[in-house]
Amino acid sequence: MSETTNTFRTEEMSLNMGPQHPSTHGVLRFVVRADGEVMREAIPDVGYLHRSIEKIAEKVGYHGFMPYTDRVDYVCAMFTNQGWGIACEKLGHIEVPRRGEYCRVIAAEFNRLASHLLSVGTMGMDIGAMTPFTHAIREREMINDLIEELCGARLTFNYMRIGGVAWDLPPGWREKAVAYLDHLDPIIDEYNALISFNKIFVERLINIGIITPADAINYNLVGPNLRACGIKWDIRKDIPYSVYPDFDFEVPIGKGEWGTLGDSMDRYMVRMREMKESVKILRQALKQIPPGSVLAKVARNFKPPAGECQVRVESARGDMGWYVVSDGTGYPWRVHVRTGSFAAMGIIQKLSAGLMIADLVALIASLDVIAPEIDR
Amino acid sequence: MSAAREYLHNIRQTVGTIFEGMAITASHFVRKPYTVQYPDRMPVRVQDTLPFRYRGILEVDLEICTGCLACERACPIDCIVIAMEKDPQTKLLTLSQFDIDIAKCMFCGLCSEPCPTGSIHHTTEFEGADYSLESLIRRFVKDPVIAYKPKKGPETDPRIAPILNRGMRYLDEFAQPGGDKPPGGDKPTEEEGAEESA
Amino acid sequence: MQTLIDSIIASGAFGAHPPRDIVGAIVIAVMCAVVLLGIAIPFAGIVTWAERRVWARIQSRVGPNRVGPQGFLQWLADGIKHICKEDLIPAEADSHLFKLAPYLVMLAFLLPWAVMPFSSSLILADLNVGILYMTAVTALTVVGVLMAGWSSNDKWSLIGGIRSAAQIVSYEIPAGLSIFPVVLMTGTLSMQGIIKAQGWAPQHWFLLANPFTFIAANILFISALAEGNRTPFDLPEAESELVAGFATEYSGMRYTFFFMAEWGNLFIIGAIMTTLFLGGWQFPHVSQSAVVMNVLQLIVFNVKVLFVVFVAMWIRATLPRVRIDQLMTVCWKYLVPLAFVDMIGTAVWVAIWPDGNRVMGYLMLAAGIVLAVLFIQRVVYYLKRSRMELYFRPGI
Repeated sequence: MSETTNTFRTEEMSLNMGPQHPSTHGVLRFVVRADGEVMREAIPDVGYLHRSIEKIAEKVGYHGFMPYTDRVDYVCAMFTNQGWGIACEKLGHIEVPRRGEYCRVIAAEFNRLASHLLSVGTMGMDIGAMTPFTHAIREREMINDLIEELCGARLTFNYMRIGGVAWDLPPGWREKAVAYLDHLDPIIDEYNALISFNKIFVERLINIGIITPADAINYNLVGPNLRACGIKWDIRKDIPYSVYPDFDFEVPIGKGEWGTLGDSMDRYMVRMREMKESVKILRQALKQIPPGSVLAKVARNFKPPAGECQVRVESARGDMGWYVVSDGTGYPWRVHVRTGSFAAMGIIQKLSAGLMIADLVALIASLDVIAPEIDR
Repeated sequence: MSAAREYLHNIRQTVGTIFEGMAITASHFVRKPYTVQYPDRMPVRVQDTLPFRYRGILEVDLEICTGCLACERACPIDCIVIAMEKDPQTKLLTLSQFDIDIAKCMFCGLCSEPCPTGSIHHTTEFEGADYSLESLIRRFVKDPVIAYKPKKGPETDPRIAPILNRGMRYLDEFAQPGGDKPPGGDKPTEEEGAEESA
Repeated sequence: MQTLIDSIIASGAFGAHPPRDIVGAIVIAVMCAVVLLGIAIPFAGIVTWAERRVWARIQSRVGPNRVGPQGFLQWLADGIKHICKEDLIPAEADSHLFKLAPYLVMLAFLLPWAVMPFSSSLILADLNVGILYMTAVTALTVVGVLMAGWSSNDKWSLIGGIRSAAQIVSYEIPAGLSIFPVVLMTGTLSMQGIIKAQGWAPQHWFLLANPFTFIAANILFISALAEGNRTPFDLPEAESELVAGFATEYSGMRYTFFFMAEWGNLFIIGAIMTTLFLGGWQFPHVSQSAVVMNVLQLIVFNVKVLFVVFVAMWIRATLPRVRIDQLMTVCWKYLVPLAFVDMIGTAVWVAIWPDGNRVMGYLMLAAGIVLAVLFIQRVVYYLKRSRMELYFRPGI
């Protein structure tokens, strides 16, 4: 018998998954070495969406770069806006009015909801359930409608400016926003009942792509991916910025109540719980928003003093770092963005060994990688 | 024994969660679809339902353009090209070219922000598809026009006044920098907000 | 069939003494054409439209509603579009097998129509092994799918084909085993015989005859979904994993053949379920005229089949896809043992009550009604919670 198994030879094949593949969330490419359905390794190949955004910053100046930051991560552009804004304000020593900070937080948290809705929706679609995706997108469209009324765009917001935000909340917007939050709360529960607790869905996700806390730190994971491993690290709480200290909210972490701590289901559930927390923050922010101006006075040709700064914001995909070096002229000398998706891509190769091809799709979706954020 | 229990538990859970999921999907048979049947089967045009701040295709009201070039300077991708001449006799600025390349434009709104009169503004128009890139360049100046000169008092010319009013209304939407000026927008709820936070 | 041929010859339409074989061949060809063009293909097409509309409503969308009334002719437009498309064959593909595969899949879809019991007289051939024939020929799909996957010379297609082979062959076993309880109770394999053993009222259907047949019906339905490549078992063409599975390299009409067979197979699934468990064409005897009765039976049969098809669509819109190892787990660890238990249970049941237990039928019916009420309660609960606008019209 043992001889038979020894002589039974299987052939390893290399599959090219992407850049044009239905479930790679944009243009990602994986070179998959697989033995039948079981993967030996999936090697991520990045660079298909590189647009030299960091270099563009050196050419268009501080004000002009704001719309470009939308393109760094087009699913949650408010956070890239915010990161760039805070970085410039730090360099130029500008104080943002309190109402401006509140506007920023409200817009950003709505954007976090939209981003997480897209993430959990595509998760369902990658697993093969079409309906949750459209339900999530339906809710996201409603958020987009709100944001459109706020800043005139649905995807590339360009809402924030150095020193605050470009538009104050329009009249009657707050009532609409609160009404929407009242609508969203039961929808999240319904969504959970529809797909999150579905046995097939749970079985597809548990014990897939388990990341140990040590690995998560070594591979520099951030955001929901890191929190799913049981590590309580949220920039909003631990290195507070903007007006986040004003709000009372929890940082949901993975508990491993379905399978193992740090598996795909934990990452998914952390996002679901974070949506609830975002709703909580938004309710408080919409209630507490103070009157006043929303934009500080900033020169048109903004020339911060020479120096450098590093800013961290908690984007929907985790700790987003903006490193800006100024040489005193109207153009930044160097800009670097540190994004969560790039780190998440790095760990895929390690996690993929022994998984099935269908699991790779679930793994990518659970890590919530967004192609433009990887390459910038 | 525990294996048998797990076996039955799995079956029960599968049936239970599928039952629940089917109830939710069944409830959608009597919910209203959210689809907007763009473009032909709509009660009103989409363009008319969009908010005032919507950043669609740019438009320039040449009647109130002061020729200050603020928009050209603000544009991060140089899609606005303005040419001006100063008439030696009358000392008046004459706009001979005002082109916006819609193919390049990224609808960021940075140009309409510094405009002193609201001449360059976004419309709610978004259907810009065309067969060639050249036809996407909007040339606003047909014949050279004299640039608008802002007056001290309110505008008296009945032809220009409504355009200027609209332009200023557009500008009012933008937040005013600094705390000295009262902010536009969200006025009705402001006092209420102050009460709540107090 | 024999009597039909004899009557045609007697009518003299083919001359005084036509060769019997040729007349028979012509009759069979005409009947096949009628079944193929008149029932099978339009049904497959209409189901695609219906499925898209059902899905759309579940997903808060509208679905195709432009071509014809409520988009009813969408399937025709799609079909014409597919015929007009270029039939691409990859250079590296095994072109003979590649061309042959869609026809085999189509064949497996068309053969079961021969024993389709539309009414008490409308059946092409009431074979005495009808249900066995049905399960045997539907399993032919696997040959075509595997052939398509292999000959495409594409790794994604190959994985899809292999998955399909594993899936269909495995699920034949629970499907076959869950037919046994009915066969045990009726003592026949003939489609008409099984239907005649049931009554028109729900408590006389085999679905509610006893708890074992109820479980058998569910097992058969699940296995049929798996054999028809339907969600949650649509692994061979899992579009988020394998692009389009075994059909990745196909285009034009050949691609349509695969999908026509897939959607057409829904009718076969529905017909098997209806025949075995839902009372088939059984209808109260309301008219003396055979024609009227046959028409009523035809309607009843089709309504039942369409209900099963609707449930399959509804399930597809609700559930995610299982993984290949879970697919096998479900089959071998859950369905097969359950089906065996079921079979033995039914055997014991039949030994105790050879003529069936009338009281049990009513009890099961009552249980079913309770279940339906519970279900409606949940639906109303979710409707109330979400506070979304209600809309009762089927079209938009």
